[in-house]
Amino acid sequence: MNNRMVSSELKVGIMILIGILILFYMSFRIGKYGVFSEHGYELTAVFINAGGLDVKTPVKIAGVEAGKIKKISLDGFKALITLTIRGSVRIPVDSRISIRSQGILGDKFLEITPGNDQKILAQGGKIQDVVEAPDFDQLFASVNGAAKNFGETMGELKGIISEKEKANIRKSIENFQEASGDFKNLIKENKGNISRVVSNVDETMSGLKLMVKDVESGKGTLGLLVKDETLYNDAREAVNVLKTISAEIDQGKGTLGKLVKDEALYDETKATIANIKDLTDGIKKGEGTLGRLAKDDSLFIETEKAAKKVQKAAEGIQEMTPVTILGTIFGMFF
Amino acid sequence: MEDVAIRIVDLQKSFGEQRVLDGINLEVEAGKITVIIGKSGGGKSVLLKNVIGLIKPDSGEIWIDGVETTSLSERDMNNIRMKFGMLFQEAALFDSMDLFDNVAFPLREHTKMSENEITSTVEERLKQVGLTGFSEKMPSELSGGMRKRVGLARALVLDPEIILFDEPTSALDPIISLTILDLIKQTQTYFKKTYLVISHDILGMFRIADKVAMLYNGKIIEYGTPHDIKRSTNEATKEFLNATKIPGFTGGDL
Amino acid sequence: MYSKKPINYYSPFLQITKALKELGSIGAMFLETVYQTFRKPFKLNYIFKQMEFIGVNSSVIVIITGVFTGMVLALQSYHGFRKFGGEGLVGATVALSMTRELGPVLTALMVTGRAGSAMAAELGTMRVTEQIDALTVMALNPVKYLVVPRVVAAFFMLPVLTIISDFVGIIGGYIVGVKLLGINEGAFITKIIKHLDLDDIYNGLIKAACFGIILSLVSCYKGFYTSGGAEGVGRSTTEAVVVSSVSILISDYVLTSLMF
Repeated sequence: MNNRMVSSELKVGIMILIGILILFYMSFRIGKYGVFSEHGYELTAVFINAGGLDVKTPVKIAGVEAGKIKKISLDGFKALITLTIRGSVRIPVDSRISIRSQGILGDKFLEITPGNDQKILAQGGKIQDVVEAPDFDQLFASVNGAAKNFGETMGELKGIISEKEKANIRKSIENFQEASGDFKNLIKENKGNISRVVSNVDETMSGLKLMVKDVESGKGTLGLLVKDETLYNDAREAVNVLKTISAEIDQGKGTLGKLVKDEALYDETKATIANIKDLTDGIKKGEGTLGRLAKDDSLFIETEKAAKKVQKAAEGIQEMTPVTILGTIFGMFF
Repeated sequence: MEDVAIRIVDLQKSFGEQRVLDGINLEVEAGKITVIIGKSGGGKSVLLKNVIGLIKPDSGEIWIDGVETTSLSERDMNNIRMKFGMLFQEAALFDSMDLFDNVAFPLREHTKMSENEITSTVEERLKQVGLTGFSEKMPSELSGGMRKRVGLARALVLDPEIILFDEPTSALDPIISLTILDLIKQTQTYFKKTYLVISHDILGMFRIADKVAMLYNGKIIEYGTPHDIKRSTNEATKEFLNATKIPGFTGGDL
Repeated sequence: MYSKKPINYYSPFLQITKALKELGSIGAMFLETVYQTFRKPFKLNYIFKQMEFIGVNSSVIVIITGVFTGMVLALQSYHGFRKFGGEGLVGATVALSMTRELGPVLTALMVTGRAGSAMAAELGTMRVTEQIDALTVMALNPVKYLVVPRVVAAFFMLPVLTIISDFVGIIGGYIVGVKLLGINEGAFITKIIKHLDLDDIYNGLIKAACFGIILSLVSCYKGFYTSGGAEGVGRSTTEAVVVSSVSILISDYVLTSLMF
C-alpha cells in the first residue's frame, strides 16, 4: 500500500508540474501581466470623447506598443484616461496624444507623438497636447451636409445654365484644355530654353557679383560716373567741349596756337581734371552713395535672393505641368 | 444494570405506512450471545441498525452502557459506536483494499499504533479466524465464507464491548455455516464480549445462543434460553420451528 | 399497506418537487463536504489516490480530445475566415475557443464520462454492499472518507487537465493551420498573443475548478444515495453522468456570464 501511494503521489506531482509549466509558458508568451513583465509608470490625459477606448487598449509610439490604458473615468464631463507606460519608454513633456484606429472598422488605439522637449514626463504626469478623435458620426454628418449642399448647388447650376451656356462652357473648357495642352507642349518644347535662361541669369548674377567687387575696389568707369548727376553733366559738357576742340583742331585751326590763344579754356580743363581726381579719391574712401553701396553686403545678398526667385519661378512652371493635366482630366468629366 | 449491555424500550419505526417495529422491549445481557430470530423482512435488520444508530427510530429509547442513544448527536453517537464491532450480511469489506488493509483499517483510523504493532495485531486476528497467508488477497478473490471471517476479524480488531452480527450464516452452505457459527462461539468464549446476532436460521442459532428472542409482527413475542423457546406454546414460534422440520428426518433436534 | 391511489410519477409537479429536493440534498452534501474538508484529520493519501484516478488516468483521453478539437476548430474557422482573407485569425480563434470554452467544458465532460461514472458506480456499490454503513459503524464519517477526496481531487485536477487540453488544442490548431493549410506562421502566433489575455486562461481554469466540484459532487451524491442493488447502481451511474453533464453546461453559461 505504501509503495502504491508513493507512486500515485509522484504521478500526480509530475502532472501538476506539467500543468504549471504550461501555464507559465503560456503566461510568458502572452507576456502581458506575467511575473516577468517590467514595471511601468502612469500618465494621464483628458479627452472630450473617449468613445471606442477600453481598458487595456494599447498605447503606441510609432506603431510600437509602449503601454496600455489602465483606467477610464469621468473627470467632470470629460474622460480622464490613465495610461500605464513601460518603464523603459521616456516621453517628452510636449508630446501629443491622439486616438487612432486601424482602418474604419479596426480597433481604436492611442498614439503618442513624442515632442522635442528635454523634460520627461514622470509618474502621474499629464499629457497636455490632446488631439480628439474624428468622431465618425460627426464626420459622416458633416460629409452628409456637404454632399447635400453640393447637390443643391448643382441643382441651382442646372437651373441657371441653359443649353446655350452649356455649349459655351463646354467650348471654353475645350479651349482651356487646348490652351493647357499648348502650354504643356510649350513648356515641354522650351524646357531646354527655360533652363538655359535660368543658367544665363545665374551667369549674369555671377558677373554682377564680380562687377560689384570691382566697384568695391574702385575699378571701372561706373563708379566714376554715378556719384552725382552734375558731375556727369559736367563731364559730358567737358567731353563735348573737348570734342568741339578736337573738331576745331581737326578743322586745322592749329592746336598749339589755339591753346595758347585761349587761356581760359586751358584753365577750365585743368580744373575739371582736378575734380575728377577728387571724385576718385572719394570713392576710394567709401564716401558717397556708390561707395556705400559697394561696401554694403546686403546688396549682394539681395541680388542673390533675386536670382533664386527667378530660379524658383522657373521650377514653378515645371510643377504646374501635372496640375494642368489634372485640370484637363477634370475638364473631361465636367 | 451491569449485566445489561443494551436495553431497548418501546422502540417504534415505520417506513411510510408500514410499521416495521411496533414497540420493541428487550434487554441484551452483557457477555452473552443473544440471538434475535424472525422472518426475512420482519424488521430484524432495522432493529440492529437502530441499535448502531444507522437509522433513527420514530419513538422509544435505546440505552447502551447507561446512555440513551436515540437523541445523541452524530459526534456523541460516534463515541458510542467505538464500543461496537459489526459483521455485515455480506461482510462489507472494502473492495479497494486487500485483506490486511481491511482488517488494519480501524486500527489505522482509530489508534496511534505503529505500523509494526498494526502488522502483528492484524496477523494475530487473521490467525484467530483461520486466514493466515491470505493477507495479500483482495476481497473479490475470496469466497463468501472467507469474507465473513475477514469481516469478523475486522469487527474484533479494536476489542469492542459489543459485536453485532447481521445474518452471519445467510448465503452460505451448511458446512461453512457451521464453521462460522463455531468461530463465533469460539471467539465469544475466548473474549467474553456481548454478541447480538440476528438471523432466521433458527437451528443454527440454537447451537450458539445463550438467549433467544423471537421477533414477530414488529414485537418481541418471546424471550428466553433456546431450551425455553423449543418448548414454547406460542403459535408463531411453533410455526417457525415446524418450518425447519423436514418430513422423514429427525434433524434439528439438538 | 400501500396507498390505494396510484401515484403518477411523471406528473410535472412531482418531478419538480423531486428535483428541488435533490438540489437541496446536493447542497447539504456540499456543505458537509466543505466542513469535512477543513476538519482534521486530513486524508491526504486518499486525496492523492483520487487525484491519480481523476487526473493522471484521464490525461490521455483529455489530450486526445483537446488535440482533435483544436485541429477541427482550425479547419472549420479556416474555411470561414478565408472568405474574407482573415486566415491569420485562425490561431486566435482556436486559442480563445480552447481557453475560454472548449478546454474547460470538454475536459469536464470527458472526466464526467470517465471518472464521474466510476465514482457513482463505486459509491453505489459501496452503498448496496453496506460498505458505507460499515464506515459509519466504525465511527468514521463516510463523506470525509469517500466524498471529500473525490471532490478535492477533482477541484485540483480539472484545472490541470484543462490547461493541458488548452495547450494541446492550440498545438493541434497550429499543426492544421500552419503545417497543413499553410497559414503564415508569424501571423498565427502573433494574433494569438495579441488577442489572448491571461484572464481568458485564468477564467477558463476557474471554470474548470467549478466543473470539477460539480461533477464530483453530483456523481458522489448519486452513488452515495443509491438503492436497489445492482440495478440501482446502474441507474445511479447513468443519472450521475446525465445530471453532471447537464449541470456543467448550465453552470458554464452562468459562470461565463459572470466572468467575461
